Amino acid sequence: MKMKTLISVVIVAGLLLVCRPVSAHHGAAAYDMTKAVELKNAVVTKFTWANPHALIYFDVKDEGGEVKHWAVEAGSPSAIGVVGWSRNSVKPGDVVTIWLFQTKTGVPVGRLNKIQFADGSLLRDSQTGGENGARTDDGLR
Amino acid sequence: MRNLFTGAIIGVVVLSLSSLAMAQAAQPQQANQVIPVWKYDPADRAVGTGGPAPRRDLSGSWAGPRSGAGVPDGQRGEPPPMTPMGKQLFEQNKPLGKFSPAGTNDPTVRTCDPYGFPRNAIDEIRGLAFATMPGRIVVLEQFQDIWREVWMDGRELPKNVGATEKNSPDPKYNGYSVGHWEDDYTLVIDTTGIDERTWLSGAGYPHTMNAHVQERYKRTSHNDLELTVTVDDPALYTKPFSLGKFNFRWVPNQMLDEKLCVPSDVIEYLKAVGDPAGSDPNANTGRF
Repeated sequence: MKMKTLISVVIVAGLLLVCRPVSAHHGAAAYDMTKAVELKNAVVTKFTWANPHALIYFDVKDEGGEVKHWAVEAGSPSAIGVVGWSRNSVKPGDVVTIWLFQTKTGVPVGRLNKIQFADGSLLRDSQTGGENGARTDDGLR
Repeated sequence: MRNLFTGAIIGVVVLSLSSLAMAQAAQPQQANQVIPVWKYDPADRAVGTGGPAPRRDLSGSWAGPRSGAGVPDGQRGEPPPMTPMGKQLFEQNKPLGKFSPAGTNDPTVRTCDPYGFPRNAIDEIRGLAFATMPGRIVVLEQFQDIWREVWMDGRELPKNVGATEKNSPDPKYNGYSVGHWEDDYTLVIDTTGIDERTWLSGAGYPHTMNAHVQERYKRTSHNDLELTVTVDDPALYTKPFSLGKFNFRWVPNQMLDEKLCVPSDVIEYLKAVGDPAGSDPNANTGRF
């Protein structure tokens, strides 16, 4: 192994470990990013695959048995498209568990963290899908 | 023996770092992977440098930041020092990152107004392409299907944009652009006459129509392209400054995605999520 190659490999590896993305947090200021709210047995009513953000509308029964209508935004189609989503990922009638960052005002609206389907599969948001709302597309430039 | 031992350790380190680098940076295609012809596919990644760059040629499609194509991170510029008038205009702007869709006055967010140049060259750039036409190079930006004509025929930039004379050109969202090859691999584009309704970036930095913006596209290999953008606008900023450095990678099948801001989609988004979510005046998530 030539020294040049070794040096360049170490430099590349070092850069990969050191470089962090520029924080964008596109419009997430309205949400409480300190904790993800978990909503079980959510029934999807509509999925909008559009800019600026894909939207999932769903119903969840609250503790009193009353149905609440929620809307949650994910990244743009091109952003979540690179972390495994497609326009057919979510369908009306899907029963799912959703983790989201709710508005600071408490209305039933949020920024998606992740969504788990009946078969156990999981999709995460591109921008806030990691643990503690971290980006998930860092390795997917 | 000692040399052999040291060599073995270096070998192991190199191999493990190599695989880490490959896994993180390139994710090369699998042998049995089918690359779709009609779809932008992030797995369709250029591998390695592809050899030396061709001379004076950027033609083709390039994947930009967060396109999934293994594009290295860029770097945004530092906040620029402003004149009193620059500060006054900047303070009137309420960027999306801090004010949310409900509270922003970003001209693009609630109505899909055009980004204008240079914002359309540095924000939401997941794809970029260049086409050569008689006397000019056309720069195509994926977001909002934008094209900008860059005249290469040696003409000078207009000096009287927005003036009151009969023949003065009007300011335009993308301004007026001329280009030249600084060397065989570096295309320099100079632009002025940009419509003052636009911001330089999503952070809300203003500009005048006399701003002079320079893009430098440097093709460092067949597969790698670097862009740096600088702004000189003495009425609002005390010295020229950089908007940042941005990287692009060659797209093997040359397909790019469509990404449009569609007003009816934005109306739905604001009604369902953007406006109900509200705005937090104490939030501090501004960006450049």
